[in-house]
Amino acid sequence: MSKSPLQDELTGHEYDGIREFDNPIPGWWSWMFFGGVVFAVLYYMAYQLGTLGTSVAEAYDQAVTANLKLQFEEIGTLTPDEPTILKYMQKKDWLLFGQKTFEGNCVSCHAKGGIGMVGPNLTDDYFKNVKRLGDIATVIQDGAANGAMPAWQNRLHPNEIVMVSAYVASLRGQNKDGPLGQQGSKIDPWPEAPPEAASE
Amino acid sequence: MTTIQTTEPTDPALSKSGILEKFSYDDGIVRLFLLATLIWALVAFLVGIIIAIELAFPQANMGIPYITFGRLRPLHTNAAIFAFAGNTIFAGVYYSTQRLCKARMYSDLLSKLHFWGWQLIIVSAVVTLPLGITQSKEYAELEWPIDIAIAVVWLGFFGGNFLMTLIKRRERHLYVALWFYIATILTVAMLHVFNNLVIPIFGGTLIKSYPIYAGVQDAFMQWWYGHNAVAFFLTTPFLGLMYYFMPKAADRPVFSYKLSIIHFWSLVFIYIWAGPHHLHYTALPEWATTLGMIFSVMLWMPSWGGMINGLLTLRGVWHQVTTDPVLKFFVVAVTFYGMSTFEGPLLSIKSVNALSHYTDWTIAHVHAGTLGWNGFMAFGMMYYLLPRLFQTKLYSKKLAETHFYLATAGILLYVIPIYVAGLTQGLMWRAMTDQGQLMYPDFVESVTRSIPFYWMRVVGGSCYMVGALLCAYNYYKTWRSRPKVYDVPVHEAPALSKGYVDPPPPESRLKGVTDLGHKVDIWMQFKWHRKWERLPVRFTVWVLIAVGAASLFEIIPTFLIRSNVPTISTVTPYTPLELAGRDIYVSEGCYNCHSQMIRPLLAETIRYGEYSKPGEFVYDHPFQWGSRRIGPDLAREGGKQSHIWHVRHFQDPAQITPGSIMPAYPWFEKKELDFKSIPLRVKAMVFLGVPYTQDEQDNAEELARAQAKLIAGEIVEQNGPPGLEDKEVVALIAYLQRLGTDIYKTPEPEAETESTDEPAAGGGH
Repeated sequence: MSKSPLQDELTGHEYDGIREFDNPIPGWWSWMFFGGVVFAVLYYMAYQLGTLGTSVAEAYDQAVTANLKLQFEEIGTLTPDEPTILKYMQKKDWLLFGQKTFEGNCVSCHAKGGIGMVGPNLTDDYFKNVKRLGDIATVIQDGAANGAMPAWQNRLHPNEIVMVSAYVASLRGQNKDGPLGQQGSKIDPWPEAPPEAASE
Repeated sequence: MTTIQTTEPTDPALSKSGILEKFSYDDGIVRLFLLATLIWALVAFLVGIIIAIELAFPQANMGIPYITFGRLRPLHTNAAIFAFAGNTIFAGVYYSTQRLCKARMYSDLLSKLHFWGWQLIIVSAVVTLPLGITQSKEYAELEWPIDIAIAVVWLGFFGGNFLMTLIKRRERHLYVALWFYIATILTVAMLHVFNNLVIPIFGGTLIKSYPIYAGVQDAFMQWWYGHNAVAFFLTTPFLGLMYYFMPKAADRPVFSYKLSIIHFWSLVFIYIWAGPHHLHYTALPEWATTLGMIFSVMLWMPSWGGMINGLLTLRGVWHQVTTDPVLKFFVVAVTFYGMSTFEGPLLSIKSVNALSHYTDWTIAHVHAGTLGWNGFMAFGMMYYLLPRLFQTKLYSKKLAETHFYLATAGILLYVIPIYVAGLTQGLMWRAMTDQGQLMYPDFVESVTRSIPFYWMRVVGGSCYMVGALLCAYNYYKTWRSRPKVYDVPVHEAPALSKGYVDPPPPESRLKGVTDLGHKVDIWMQFKWHRKWERLPVRFTVWVLIAVGAASLFEIIPTFLIRSNVPTISTVTPYTPLELAGRDIYVSEGCYNCHSQMIRPLLAETIRYGEYSKPGEFVYDHPFQWGSRRIGPDLAREGGKQSHIWHVRHFQDPAQITPGSIMPAYPWFEKKELDFKSIPLRVKAMVFLGVPYTQDEQDNAEELARAQAKLIAGEIVEQNGPPGLEDKEVVALIAYLQRLGTDIYKTPEPEAETESTDEPAAGGGH
């Protein structure tokens, strides 16, 4: 483009006073255009027809496996029962894990920190459908109160149910004020933690 | 007021090229369209600002159902695209086509029918969309009677008038601007018709229809349409305007005729394929989204061909840009065009799209395009036309300059914060902790972060609007100083004679190559295209082949290959009550903020549950996948919350979820549910092939009432308010509680064996 634009050749066309230069297509434009076409063909062949690419579904399955490994490799798959919940109530890391699960799924009803909103306050000694520690997991899995508490077994991994149960159980005793006041009846304290779990 | 007169040629030389004819241009129609452009621009911008405020401050709707975000957002997009950009196109096309063809528009009557018909269509959009009368397909929300009117006005009045003008033209060859107009008229008509094939519900005062496509196929058709509406309503016609007004305003020849040819055809052919990039990672088969991506990448240079031809036309006259507001608007417009058409291919790359999709990034992208490219082309053209149409001086060049700077600042103040908001949302949604959990599990956290950016957008949008108001004032003052009677110059040109002989094909300039080499060289000189340019019908047919063939290549496999939509035996039609609830969901425009499509991405399935499968949507007429997550995805909402939660959440979302910007819907609990129309809805679905049982067809209303009573009873048991069994809220809750639950049902043994032996037709009913 060293030539002055005024010296470019015209095509001789004219429409309502508009004329057109007979300039060639810029070289870089052509190269980029054909580069795009070549990329498109190669990409489609490699991705859809060949074996180079990973399909979206395969990549997802790999990510899920890796994530499960990252989350639960050291503990395996747990059974959401009373001793297991009690054990994980003593482990700070896992309580934090349970808290995240709670924040993702439970705060819409029980509010942040479990002080209650549509669902009851979880920080006091009064419970509606829980008498023993293990009942927390049961309520989470199956739901309760005519569906006011939805069932979560399709949505949460058993380990998540254990951790969120442990986190909920750990809220008890904070006795924070919530909008609903006390609901249900006062229940017995949670059992004592087994000594070996606490020391871990 | 026809002024065509014929005079017998006295000069024998003239008789060869036809009879010399006198004619004048119809600028009255251009003045009308230009005025409509200005008025609708202000309306579109105002509605845009209102909904921008509502996002930052939901109470701004003052509890009025008609102006909630979900109902106004479609009005904003429709007003901006079809009213503002539409009238811009018509003004520019009517002005330039007459001059490029040396002919008055074919029929003044068709011009007037086109103008008033189109304005009536827009007015009906302004009425129906706030009333919740909508098809819920983005930029195709208008219901079927209006759709028919659009087809008639667009293709019949506008298209007919335009094509007949081409045929009656006195200029032998068609200039590149006209090529783009041809592509626009043809393709928009095709897109509009095929995306709006619906079955209307007749009965009562209902204006309601269901698309003939369901689920995956409906989504595919919608984004074939949606993407190409951007291509053929906001791109090709504006490129045509650029090719006319830019060289006129700069008084410079167009940079390269050859580039015009190659970028026109490559653009028209490639654009059509790219639609599926709006559906990356969705339940659409992956081959289709891969095609969408690679064609988008290929589209980059064809788009930039237009930008280069525009900007390089200004070589040698850049100093004029500093003094001429018209050129200023054009230069910035073309620059934004270049930026948007680079960003488009970028966003179409799957891994980029995984981050950007559903976020405000898309919103920033389209506003750079619409405010920058379409808006500035429109205003540049307006300032070019005002003195010419009103045959006086522009009232104030300085005001036009102020408009330019204010609007440019407005665009930047709009898009930069919204880009930041979009990136923030995308990154927060996918952020994971070391323990493999979501860093921000509560969706509302990303909303709270976005609010300051939403306020900045209000400021940016307002700047843009104030600029447009300055333009309106300039328009008014210029109009005031018009002459008492417009001068209508009479032009003279010979009619086109028959028996035109094309110049001989050029010689090859190459030496020492084979015959094939010579042929390629001759072809590359593009002289062959010159012949096409004098044959408008043949040209039109070639455009039709280009856009039609590309469409069929994608559409036919999507509809015919069964494996694209594997059926799931436990997925059954919505109950009559759920169907009624779904129609309320559609009518309220919930899809404007909530997607129903969980992508197979880890962070997404942790947040929302198992990813969406194609077979889950086979009864979804229309699909409700959405394109934006202002609120969380609802694809697996069923059973996630209790009935009572929904009741209280509709009353006041911000009370249940602190920080929520969802508007309150207290009227759901007050408005009576229209049980009477439910059998009509079921009947229409049966017509579309949805397998309702005979009992459901015969007793739709009774079944709906029974389910409503059941849900209302459960609400009471959950300590909710009594008496909701005949209110809209129960239907909505019934629908929401159904969403995404079918795949967890235990299959009935019979049904299971049936489905494994013989896969049912893949949702295409």
